[in-house]
Amino acid sequence: MFLRESGRATDLKINLEALIKPTLEIGVPGGKEILNFAEALIGPDRSILDKARLELADKLSPAAVSAASAIAANFTKNDRIANGCGIPSEPKMLKASKDIRANLGLNDYRSAENTFKHFPEER
Amino acid sequence: MVLYADSNYPVHKDLDSIHAKQLDQLGRPGAWGTADQRLAIAQEVRQAAYKTGLQERPKEAELKGGIKLPDAASKVVQKLTISPKDFLEDSYTDAKKDGLNDEEYVEIVGIVSRLTCMDVFARGIGVPLRPLPKASEGQPSRNRPAVAKKEMAWVPTIPNLPEGGDAAKALYGEGYKTYIVRGLSLVPDEVRMHIELENVQYLPMKHIFIPDYQHHEGFTRAQCEIVAGRISALNECFF
Repeated sequence: MFLRESGRATDLKINLEALIKPTLEIGVPGGKEILNFAEALIGPDRSILDKARLELADKLSPAAVSAASAIAANFTKNDRIANGCGIPSEPKMLKASKDIRANLGLNDYRSAENTFKHFPEER
Repeated sequence: MVLYADSNYPVHKDLDSIHAKQLDQLGRPGAWGTADQRLAIAQEVRQAAYKTGLQERPKEAELKGGIKLPDAASKVVQKLTISPKDFLEDSYTDAKKDGLNDEEYVEIVGIVSRLTCMDVFARGIGVPLRPLPKASEGQPSRNRPAVAKKEMAWVPTIPNLPEGGDAAKALYGEGYKTYIVRGLSLVPDEVRMHIELENVQYLPMKHIFIPDYQHHEGFTRAQCEIVAGRISALNECFF
């Protein structure tokens, strides 16, 4: 949801589907390199990560590598806190993300049950 | 001391100092774990990530490990480290059945999450894992917030104001806080450290609803959200 809003605020036409299918064009400068780097960072192949890091630095800047690493790392934390504590998503966020969740298949994630058991009407 | 002095990529000094502080703090007694227990959790995180190819090789001493964790703790650490998308409610109920209490469980979730965060950052900028500290003496504080109760998360949490009272005010301030902030609140220090990382690595929480707010040099908010969205998709995190 924040991605869609940040795109609107900066006049970018963002294709959210690329978050699930990263071969699609996402509509943000350096988007392909960012998606490749994020996936490689939490994946098992070091050579793919090293290549993705260089491509991101080349396409955007060395500072972009640090920024992308910081954010990716932060969300590896948040995903573990969320799934480890079994927290639900907030009603306000659920309402705002209804179309996105349906289009991207997010409702099928098994961790969605931590939300739907409290808000079955949002399924 | 600069923690990431060997990085070829620029690291903001606030991020550097917070990682240095939080790594050091793993070697001190927490709310429910001794320093030895907390370091054993950290070592198990690194061993599990290394063995599955998700992280670089830890130092030899960290590979050998320290004290042996109880099986219940070890299972939580390994599953949450390696595969957060497979961490479902039975992982929590099994941990309780096998002897962990909620307070211990929440501290473990906090340590696994924060250390994974710091280690993934190091991997991202291409530097080796930072060494874990030595264990300090001392006993856990055993500080359980009396107001924490079962809400919608699996684990008890400190409610928002007004129900959460002074404990909520001290931890959350005046405003309403979502579950991603409150999830670890059974161990208040874990919330403080989680938010500290959030503020330097993602963006200061007070700016979260400004859609074009840019926190990172050379990286727009939209670019940040691509990273966040892709990581959460890969981890199948719904929240």
